[in-house]
Amino acid sequence: MKLFVSEGNPHCLKVLAALEDTGVKCDVQFVNHEGTNAWLSQHLCQTRSLQYLFPPIYTPRYLFEVSGKGCTDLCNQWLEWETADLQPALQHALHVAVVLEKGSEVSKVLQGPLNHLEQSLTKASTAYLTGESVSIADVVLWAALYPVLSDPSIPLGERKTVKAWFERGAKLRSFQTAAQKVLQGKGLQGMKTYLQKQPIHLSTQCKEPCTN
Amino acid sequence: QVPVLQNNSGPPLVGLVTIACHLVKESKCPDLLGDSAESRAVVQQWLEHRVTKLDRCRKEDTKIFLKDLDHYLRKVYLAGNHFTLADIFIYYGIHPLMVDLAVQEKEQFANVTRWFDHIQHYPGVRHHLPLITVLRNRIYISRH
Repeated sequence: MKLFVSEGNPHCLKVLAALEDTGVKCDVQFVNHEGTNAWLSQHLCQTRSLQYLFPPIYTPRYLFEVSGKGCTDLCNQWLEWETADLQPALQHALHVAVVLEKGSEVSKVLQGPLNHLEQSLTKASTAYLTGESVSIADVVLWAALYPVLSDPSIPLGERKTVKAWFERGAKLRSFQTAAQKVLQGKGLQGMKTYLQKQPIHLSTQCKEPCTN
Repeated sequence: QVPVLQNNSGPPLVGLVTIACHLVKESKCPDLLGDSAESRAVVQQWLEHRVTKLDRCRKEDTKIFLKDLDHYLRKVYLAGNHFTLADIFIYYGIHPLMVDLAVQEKEQFANVTRWFDHIQHYPGVRHHLPLITVLRNRIYISRH
């Protein structure tokens, strides 16, 4: 299996974190943005929005399948929440923080999803999202949130449970390796070139603050 | 609007994909989720595609969606060589779009229309949804 990843692409962080976590053997190739686009566009020509098999967003699930770690109902529920609710807000937040350089507005954009996470973790009172051990849901959500939550300029507010849960993930070595590879130690700025090239897909609820 | 499944054996499940996958796992045909790691990942990809793209597709973008799907559907089923939950999800998702298509448009999206006609006749899929009329002679003759 071959995996194409690019620096600064937030979705690639998920893939690499999942790869480190599952230990699946895989040939990882780093391609630059132009290369990624060229590679993707061959497939995107075929399907455009559908993309080809395993764009980075779907790869973690595949890696967990291959490694034999299953996905429970609760795990599925978190993954669905991540794609349906968290990602639209997160894409907006990254655009605001990195491209528009308005880090102070990120908390507002992510308020809904972070509150949901805080409430769910508090209610479940487990160390991880689906129980007392790490699951694919934790890996995917850590990786999705890592760029914003690891930035000290973006306050988490009073969300102590999210903070504690996130710190459990952030200190894992597998996770740090993945983050270093994708963000090159530059934090949010490591994604700037990538994000600037992305078309802006904002849901209607997100459009308002951006056009101010 | 997000569906919730109240369950005797545990906490409620939230989300269309989550609930559908749960029901399939409980059913006698778990292969609807795919029969290999790869096809399972492809099925999940289509389920997510339905809830994140199709269900949020603006009216003016529906033709683009159908065009993309048409390009992909030069095969019998969405994931691998078998009928899966992905086919059911997309069938139900695009039914409202297919109702509105004119005959000429159905010919324009010939692959989608052929696949759609196949799925709507697949045993146990259509239920209460109206059958969409397809002029088969126009769809099945290749125009390439």
